[in-house]
Amino acid sequence: MEHAWDFSAVFTNSYLLLIGLKNTIILAVVCLVLGLFFGLFVGAARYSTRIVFNWPATAFVEVFRNTPVLVQIMWFFFAFPIISPFDIDAFTAATLGLTLNTIAFSSEIYRAGIQSIHRGQWEAAKALGMNYTNQMRRIILPQAIRRMIPAFMNRAVELVKMTSLASVIAYGELMYQAKTISTIEFNPIEMYTSVALIFFVLIFPLTLFVQRLEIKSKGRG
Amino acid sequence: MVEILKIEGLNKSFGDLTVLDGIDLSVNKGETIVVIGASGSGKSTMLRCVNFMEIPSGGRITLNGSAIGTASNGSVTYSEKELTGLRARVGMVFQHFNLFPHMTVKQNVMEGPKTVLKCSAVECSRRADKYLEKVGLGWKADSFPSQLSGGQQQRVAIARALAMEPEIMLFDEATSALDPELVGEVLLTMKELADEGMTMLIVTHELGFAYTVADRVLFLANGKILEQGDPESVLINPQQDATKNFLRGHGSFRLPEPNLD
Ligand SMILES: Nc1ncnc2c1ncn2[C@@H]1O[C@H](COP(=O)(O)OP(=O)(O)OP(=O)(O)O)[C@@H](O)[C@H]1O
Ligand SMILES: [Mg+2]
Repeated sequence: MEHAWDFSAVFTNSYLLLIGLKNTIILAVVCLVLGLFFGLFVGAARYSTRIVFNWPATAFVEVFRNTPVLVQIMWFFFAFPIISPFDIDAFTAATLGLTLNTIAFSSEIYRAGIQSIHRGQWEAAKALGMNYTNQMRRIILPQAIRRMIPAFMNRAVELVKMTSLASVIAYGELMYQAKTISTIEFNPIEMYTSVALIFFVLIFPLTLFVQRLEIKSKGRG
Repeated sequence: MVEILKIEGLNKSFGDLTVLDGIDLSVNKGETIVVIGASGSGKSTMLRCVNFMEIPSGGRITLNGSAIGTASNGSVTYSEKELTGLRARVGMVFQHFNLFPHMTVKQNVMEGPKTVLKCSAVECSRRADKYLEKVGLGWKADSFPSQLSGGQQQRVAIARALAMEPEIMLFDEATSALDPELVGEVLLTMKELADEGMTMLIVTHELGFAYTVADRVLFLANGKILEQGDPESVLINPQQDATKNFLRGHGSFRLPEPNLD
């Protein structure tokens, strides 16, 4: 079938798309920052041998790793408000879903990163007379985080893509804006093509950066 | 004579396995003690109990007159703070060096004085220069560990331990992971330390080194000190069958004195 491509409606609605882009970025950044921050603690709890820390953290991680993000977001928007005493708007529901998911994944990255550091590093630090905090802060984490950066960046890429799921609960991110515009302007082909392009332009540099990091860290061994 | 280290009735078990079974040892200032014994006899565990990398199951360790831990009705308890304080006073060198790969050679050596002893920047730097010079690696100060040979890495590890100005140094098979041609430089560094009067407790399979450098040799078997004395009496004229067997195994292939002129 022939289609006469016409992007003019995309440009006349570009400010709506910009709002969507802004909301996409806000959602991604908020979820990434919160997810990485709390992920450290859940990761530490997963690393701990004490059941009171380890067991709940493990349960949390497994629940969020083994259910679809879309289900999590829908649950926080449609189910959670019924049992919680406060109102939840689309942004909050999307943030809850994506952040908890990011916590679960990043905690695994932290845990694996710390575990990848050879026991001898802990021993050398301990033998110098360092306490646990200093062993972690001065010796283990600086090495571990270097190894974690590509994994975190990959996670950031995934997260930016997952923000589009928030469109199903009417959060005004890029995808939702595109859907709205295309139903008014009857231009789904141009609209969704543009959204795909915008996502690509947003994400591709991140992916390139991760690849370079991975090559570099392999080179260092 | 000043007694630096006293070990009394040291026991250590892992679950049902008794690894150390009543070790008594007194080490005077400036003494070099070499510990030998078969694999699994408990040499590493004994060393690791001295700086509490392993917590003893029983017995008492006294460093420079101060008994470590609090004894109450038959058992000794240790606070974390006391143990970190003690470890800062005891230097340890590992078989696999365990240098910090994200730090330069100099930063490695400064790390203990800086983080643990809270020395000033000037003092940290002075110590690092001094001890790197001592092991002959001042010129490698700004390199990273991965850029050094195994022998150089181990000498940096020795400098790192020395920078804490410890009261005693522990060496656990410091040359076992090295290529044969790199063993000599590390042994030489250790011998220089011994000659300068450092108190040292050394686990090694280098019997020639033990013979030349040790003031006293201990033969460990099944977690007990089976035989001890000067190198001549333990390594050349052993009394116990177990010691004889051990030495027979080690001396199976021996060069006659090479003619090096
Ligand atoms: N953390 C541990 N948990 C359980 N068993 C241990 C532990 N550390 C050591 N052992 C056991 O204690 C025994 C003595 O070990 P140790 O490492 O002290 O021997 P070693 O004399 O240093 O031997 P090698 O010459 O092989 O280094 C061995 O049987 C070992 O398996
Ligand atoms: Mg050993």
